[in-house]
Amino acid sequence: MQIQRAAVIGAGVMGSGIAAHIANAGVPVVLLDIVPKGMPAGADRSAVARGAVQKLLKADPAPFMHPKNARLVTPGNLEDDLGLLADCDWIVEAVIEDPAIKADLYRRIDPVRKAGSVVSSNTSTIPLAALVEGQSEAFRRDFLITHFFNPPRYMRLLELVTGPDTRSDAADALADFCDRRLGKGVVRCKDRPGFIANRIGAFWIQAAINAAFDLGLSVEEADAIAGRPMGIPKTGIFGLMDLVGIDLMPHIARSLLATLPEGDAYRAAYREHPLIARMIAEGLTGRKGKGGFYRLNRDGGGKVKEAIDLKTGAYRPAERPKPESLAAAGRDLRALADHPDRTGAYARTVLAGTLAYAASLVPEIADDIVSVDEAMRLGYNWKQGPFELIDRLGSDWFADLCRREGIPVPALVERAAGRPFYRVEGGRLEHLTVDGAYTPVPRPDGVLLLSDVKRAGKPVWKNGSASLWNIGDGVMCLEFTSKMNTLDADTMAAYGKAMALIGDGRGAWKALVVHNEADNFSVGANLGLALFALNIALWPQIEEMVEAGQRTYRALKYAPFPVVGAPSGMALGGGCEILLHCDHVQAHAETYVGLVEVGVGVIPGWGGCTELLARHAADPKLPKGPMPAIAKAFETISLAKVAKSAAEAKDLKYLRATDGITMNRARLLADAKAKALELADGYTPPQPATYTLPGPGGRTALDLFVEGVRLQGKATPHDVVVCRKLAEVLTGGDADITQPVDEDAILALERKAFMDLVHEPDTVDRIEHMLTTGKPLRN
Amino acid sequence: MPIYKAPLQDVRFVLESIVGVERLSALPGYEDATPDLIFQVLEEGAKLCEEVLFPLNQPGDAEGCRFENGVVRTPAGFKEAYDTYVGAGWQGLSCDPAYGGQGLPKLVNTMLEEFVCSANLSFGMYPGLSLGAYNALALHAGDDLKDRFLPRLVDGTWAGTMCLTEPHAGTDLGIIRTRAVPKDDGSYAITGTKIFISAGEHDLTENILHLVLARLPDAPAGTRGISLFLVPKFLPDADGKPGPRNGVACGSIEHKMGIRASSTCVMNFDEATGWLVGEPNKGMRAMFVMMNAARLAVGIQGLGIAEVAYQNAAAYAKERLQGRSLKGPRHPDKPADPIIVHPDVRRNLLTARAYTEGARALGALVGYHLDVAERHPDPRQRRESDEFVQLMTPIVKALFTDIGFDAANIAVQVHGGHGFIWETGVEQYVRDARITQIYEGTNGIQALDLVGRKLGQDMGRLLRRFFHPVSAELATDMENDDLAEFALPLAKAFAKLQQATGLIAQKGLKDPEEAGAAATDYLRLFGLVALGWMWLRMVKAARARLASGEGDAAFLEAKVKTARFYMAKLLPQTGALFITIAAGAGPLMELEDTAF
Repeated sequence: MQIQRAAVIGAGVMGSGIAAHIANAGVPVVLLDIVPKGMPAGADRSAVARGAVQKLLKADPAPFMHPKNARLVTPGNLEDDLGLLADCDWIVEAVIEDPAIKADLYRRIDPVRKAGSVVSSNTSTIPLAALVEGQSEAFRRDFLITHFFNPPRYMRLLELVTGPDTRSDAADALADFCDRRLGKGVVRCKDRPGFIANRIGAFWIQAAINAAFDLGLSVEEADAIAGRPMGIPKTGIFGLMDLVGIDLMPHIARSLLATLPEGDAYRAAYREHPLIARMIAEGLTGRKGKGGFYRLNRDGGGKVKEAIDLKTGAYRPAERPKPESLAAAGRDLRALADHPDRTGAYARTVLAGTLAYAASLVPEIADDIVSVDEAMRLGYNWKQGPFELIDRLGSDWFADLCRREGIPVPALVERAAGRPFYRVEGGRLEHLTVDGAYTPVPRPDGVLLLSDVKRAGKPVWKNGSASLWNIGDGVMCLEFTSKMNTLDADTMAAYGKAMALIGDGRGAWKALVVHNEADNFSVGANLGLALFALNIALWPQIEEMVEAGQRTYRALKYAPFPVVGAPSGMALGGGCEILLHCDHVQAHAETYVGLVEVGVGVIPGWGGCTELLARHAADPKLPKGPMPAIAKAFETISLAKVAKSAAEAKDLKYLRATDGITMNRARLLADAKAKALELADGYTPPQPATYTLPGPGGRTALDLFVEGVRLQGKATPHDVVVCRKLAEVLTGGDADITQPVDEDAILALERKAFMDLVHEPDTVDRIEHMLTTGKPLRN
Repeated sequence: MPIYKAPLQDVRFVLESIVGVERLSALPGYEDATPDLIFQVLEEGAKLCEEVLFPLNQPGDAEGCRFENGVVRTPAGFKEAYDTYVGAGWQGLSCDPAYGGQGLPKLVNTMLEEFVCSANLSFGMYPGLSLGAYNALALHAGDDLKDRFLPRLVDGTWAGTMCLTEPHAGTDLGIIRTRAVPKDDGSYAITGTKIFISAGEHDLTENILHLVLARLPDAPAGTRGISLFLVPKFLPDADGKPGPRNGVACGSIEHKMGIRASSTCVMNFDEATGWLVGEPNKGMRAMFVMMNAARLAVGIQGLGIAEVAYQNAAAYAKERLQGRSLKGPRHPDKPADPIIVHPDVRRNLLTARAYTEGARALGALVGYHLDVAERHPDPRQRRESDEFVQLMTPIVKALFTDIGFDAANIAVQVHGGHGFIWETGVEQYVRDARITQIYEGTNGIQALDLVGRKLGQDMGRLLRRFFHPVSAELATDMENDDLAEFALPLAKAFAKLQQATGLIAQKGLKDPEEAGAAATDYLRLFGLVALGWMWLRMVKAARARLASGEGDAAFLEAKVKTARFYMAKLLPQTGALFITIAAGAGPLMELEDTAF
């Protein structure tokens, strides 16, 4: 079964977000909601859904990967447009969590839907068994639960629940669609309350809140412990509650208490804290409300971050706690949980309770531990799932901890008997099953993870900033390994080594893929290093670094073998420039590309100006003459435009129209490798381009434009300085329009402009500001 | 008998050609500080130092301070000299006119301090400590305390001290034990023992104001639990006159290697009444401001000793007749040639002179930036100058005091056996100079401050204030063939400094012991380059004046020749320093502790 057209019913936050994301996959989608009561005649009866689409277009972060995707969403209403469902292969129900309303809706859509179409509910609280009660047999066969996480575009988890009657081919087809086309990590769950992620997540939140009150921790202290040190987002518990809405808690609690089995540990852990009840009553519901556990106090003009005192309930300035336990333990989670002070006790209590609860739920909620870990990683953004955390602590040590804390040791932990839940055997990752044997962690077809490659062997070569890996079939992968994947001389050396090893591409090696599994592909050159060099006036070394980057990227571009970039997350500055020099880019859909150099007072110096100019110059849609292409490149670079998705990157020409987009991150490397092998067959390197550039005449035009922008108050004094330099490069310096200019000449201009700019104190201020605050300075 | 003449000509040259003294009067509040006025003031100050303070130096050393029945007696003549000094308003030279000061730039005071320290380092301690106390109060105290006490410090009728060190807590002030208990009237009862308190007790003034570091009852451990208090020897009465004796007394004084006319006291505080200066538990911050100023002042002490030592060595070398020039008699009419004909004697003299004059230029530049940091209307300029001062403070302190000690040693060496006996007067400089390398943070601590705090701060932002101007100046001067013999060696040394800086930043990030091992060599390397920069500037200024026919040609030619000596004979030490820095911590750390 192919899903060529879909429908979402319910245009609330989740429903409309799911619709947007289905559109992101290029699939037309109908979005239906009710006709508001008391509509005047002639008014838009689909106003709810239509309004939702408008909201989607304004939301930040954007639910659409490209605004044009909104055209794939057809708004409608449940009275006039049910007929549209007849063309849909998949219907997602995302209406209010009321079994009666859902049942009624199912009965209305069942007769009009296409035979064999799949219907799924986005419920997070209602058991599937209850949902299909009283529905037709055909409906029960075609029905399942697809539980998305908010926001649907960005959260990678999709919990998929089938019932005893669900057609397995329908479930498989939908799982495949969600995996490949929507890019989700599909985790099969059993039809149990809260499925996997919310079941464990709700317990974790409750346990962490209880312990903070019991042990007398401040919210900052609690978040400092039950956050980064445990591989949990730095918001910790209280910050997370502020983010999702503190009033959401009682809803989840109510539904869990109504459905969880007797004796479930959550029931014992559940407590209503008067302070939290009071906060909800007073509208202190978090970021969407008047404040939460934290708030920004803007009284008196300033912005003071405040935190609530869990004892008194009063706000006070937030502190940056530095618990001694953290300083003493470093990255050692066990030492943290063993620390004698109350923050150590907090770590101990939260870890023991939460992990033991999670361990006690397999196989009740999932067949294997891998699903549980995956769900917590993708649904709650934990770096490690519960079983991975137990392994970090040691399963025997953890069993001992449970005993010390008076918690029954979960059967699965007993069964592990001191063995890890995961092990590497023969280079393959294996996990412990419920019957106590090890079996390989499954990887679907078309999934190639660099982490698997890394587990299986040693790198071909490595230095402090990059490693070279053999990803099979003669393809080499270059992985950045520096902090934040910043680029430095060692990165350039690694490219050099890769080129030397691959040679002419006709030996053992055929192609190179540039890829890594970090959150961000690369945030560009190592600014800290650059700033230090700049502060001590090491000008020749800085110039050499610019030249080395140009040399290396050019060598890669003209290498006798194909180079494929496979980015995900941010690819900024120098990280964008490497992509501009690749033969092909296979980008994860969530790739954020940009030449952001002007933000730190310089221009792209590793060929970024040159390459972007070439791409615009080759655009047949632009008017004739050199200026339109120059103006386009100038606009993109001078405004430091960052594409918010791979699709947007194509608009900005950071990516070519022919570059590939992979929705599922886990499939990125395999797709890139396949493309590299395809290109390697009969590969010929590109021919160097020549440029026709207007020289000083064109520059004057751009300078005038910049002056105009400055007069409108939209450019700062240093923007003007940087833009003038950029104009000089893009127009070819002293070029003469009758004489074609080669790449070398423009690269030389890039270098000179770059060096001139790093001598400017305002540029140094920008770099410094970026490094200290993480934000650009508008000087 | 030693001699001393204040180096007014060189001071004038430095202020005019290196600092651009005329720029001072452009700073708000310094409108009257014209070059004419400044030089007039310095000439007067020179006279006082030469005629009043200098003659007391040797006798003061012989007599020393005496401790009798809880009272400290300064040597004969000190009280009269002090009265003359404060009577003429020197104490308030750079103090705020609102409190009776003269309101002259700090730079002027810096130059005057050099004269005072050359003339009589022991004497200089008393007004120096008072100025330190003034600075701390002016910056951190509330208006009430300022109004009550600052005028007395400015007119010199009362003196000040800094009470930091305790028997068990010197460099590590985080562990001090002196307690401060709040009293009902808002004051505090201070109890504890402080040692090594310069000017803690003396007979020069009617009252003494102690600035004391102590802990409040609920203070957190370490340096974040230290507060600063003002504790007068006599509690002022309603008219502001010294009233009843406070619970603070001198227990004894130290018998020291040098600066024997400066009283160094054990101070016992027994429920002494004091007032909080600044915020509770923020005492270290307040003290740091004072310490930074004090560190610069100690650097100037080193410069003062170096100058007077050089003057005596040079005078002796010109008059001491002994042996003949290696190339045959130069003065056949005399029984022997003066020893100045010998290359090695000249090496000694030029070494002392080149360091001293270079240091004077650098000290003046730092002093100028101190004023800009405080007064410039543009916050950016203020910040940049402040950063320059912060960066250079440990260098001025350690380098200048090392130079002072080295020059004093050179003076003894040039005097031969006569230098070793007391009457000649130069051995006193060796003894007096020695403490300057120790107090206000040993020179080893200064080096750690440079590599540990200053170097890495904000990815090297402080460094920019030195490296960028030097780099820019070299870029221009390297184009000028006439300057090649000066610019080239400096460029080489500067490159070594850049390399060493990068190396330490890189290695020190991974292993702090690497930075610690390089610290002293690095500070010296940095200091030598900084002096080289000053010499390049001085050569350019001297040549420009020679070309225009202005000024004293002999003086200016000597400048150029001394610069040549510096570039050729002293600056190349940077090469060796770089090698020892690059050798890393290994050779220092491999010998087991027990094997020492």
